[in-house]
Amino acid sequence: MKINIHNVSHQYDVEVLKTLSFELDGYRSVAIIGASGSGKSTLLRLLSGLEKPSQGTIQIDDLNVQDETYRKQIGFVFQNHNLFPHLSLERNITIILEKTRGYQKVKAIEIAKDYLTRVRLQDQMYKLPKNVSGGQAQRASIARAFSLDPELVFLDEPTASLDPVLSFEVLQAVKELRGSGKNFIFVTHVLSFVRDFADYVIFMDQGKILEHGPVSILEKPHTDELKNYMSFIR
Amino acid sequence: MKKLFNYALAIGTFVAIILFVIYSRDAEFTLAPLFEDYGRLIFLGLLNSLYVSLITLIGSLILGFIFYLLSISKFTYFRALIDVFTEVIYGTPLLVMIVLMAFLIGPAFNNFNRPFLGILGLILYISPYMKNVYQSSFSSIPKEQYMAMDLFGFTGWQRYQYIIIPQVIKVLMPPLMNNFSLIVKGSSLMYVLAYAELYYAINIAQSRTFLFVEGYVLLWALYLVITIPLSQFTKWIEKKLQS
Repeated sequence: MKINIHNVSHQYDVEVLKTLSFELDGYRSVAIIGASGSGKSTLLRLLSGLEKPSQGTIQIDDLNVQDETYRKQIGFVFQNHNLFPHLSLERNITIILEKTRGYQKVKAIEIAKDYLTRVRLQDQMYKLPKNVSGGQAQRASIARAFSLDPELVFLDEPTASLDPVLSFEVLQAVKELRGSGKNFIFVTHVLSFVRDFADYVIFMDQGKILEHGPVSILEKPHTDELKNYMSFIR
Repeated sequence: MKKLFNYALAIGTFVAIILFVIYSRDAEFTLAPLFEDYGRLIFLGLLNSLYVSLITLIGSLILGFIFYLLSISKFTYFRALIDVFTEVIYGTPLLVMIVLMAFLIGPAFNNFNRPFLGILGLILYISPYMKNVYQSSFSSIPKEQYMAMDLFGFTGWQRYQYIIIPQVIKVLMPPLMNNFSLIVKGSSLMYVLAYAELYYAINIAQSRTFLFVEGYVLLWALYLVITIPLSQFTKWIEKKLQS
């Protein structure tokens, strides 16, 4: 995957990202780490095209991230599952396949069942999100993202609101669905998952990319900030 | 059962007060002549009132939704337009709206169809209130869900049809029905355009029988016949949706 960030700034009320420029080519799974408020979730949302930067441009695999074609190629797993609350786990998937991807109903149901079974939710699929546990809902949200067969999957702290056991289940589900040929960009605080799953790490601090490199940089951090961060979450 | 008894008691109290007031009059109280000679006219008036109310409900549901969309538009001009219109309507008596619509605004656009203009006036008057209903219920959908809809590529209409409206219908129903009863009552002002709705019909019967008080009592009762089942129906739907 090729990432090209050019002069990107972003602000809500305060500036969250400060004139960021960054290029990367040839990695398949990129982890963005950093303390809360470092701008990592914002960067992830900008990379996914969910939000538009106040300034600058972002391209992934030579596509502008605001393009409609790019949008059809990505999947996104939100922090708090973000399933549609009035629809069953199964319907959360089929409605997207049917209405936005043009699948026939029968085919959509088949795909939804397949992915929900792969994250071991075959017995829960007709339940509403509020009637399953947080971990199960998050796994359904992962199944939803993968069922669209995206080339690139974004994960925004998928385990932030879960206890360690449920976190493990959720991350295991991601690993199982990983398959071949998919690329990943994700934000997490779970360092073991970064070590297992990422081949490139971006460390952010106060709206800037402070350190980046292959996952081995975690073993020998250059900056005090990364050392500090790692000592906190270890 | 206890609840039912108390409700019956409450209704009984009101009926007793009304009967007391009616029969303390010196003059005799009778509705018979109104029914006998003008029953058909009054019945047609009732149907016309319902007709006007339904058209206004449908029209204001649609126009209110368009107003809502304009009020969240990217273009400041559209938002300002809706803001200004809403403020103007808030300060305008419905009677003035209907009269100006039929005798000033309509003719300016070469339209002299008074019933049509009157109903249009009602629709325009209720639409900002409908816009508010949409506004307050749609704002209960969190921002993340809109992001998800963006991400998955739902079109504008699909968002409302599949995601937003099914979620807010519960909160949407009660204020919507409040507005409907506002419409039913407001439709009585169509009489100024000599439109044969309920109030107009009763007015004719009153002037020919001289039964003024009786006419108003009948009018009152007939409006209640429309609005009370309506509000009960709303409560029933609310309950249905909650379960």
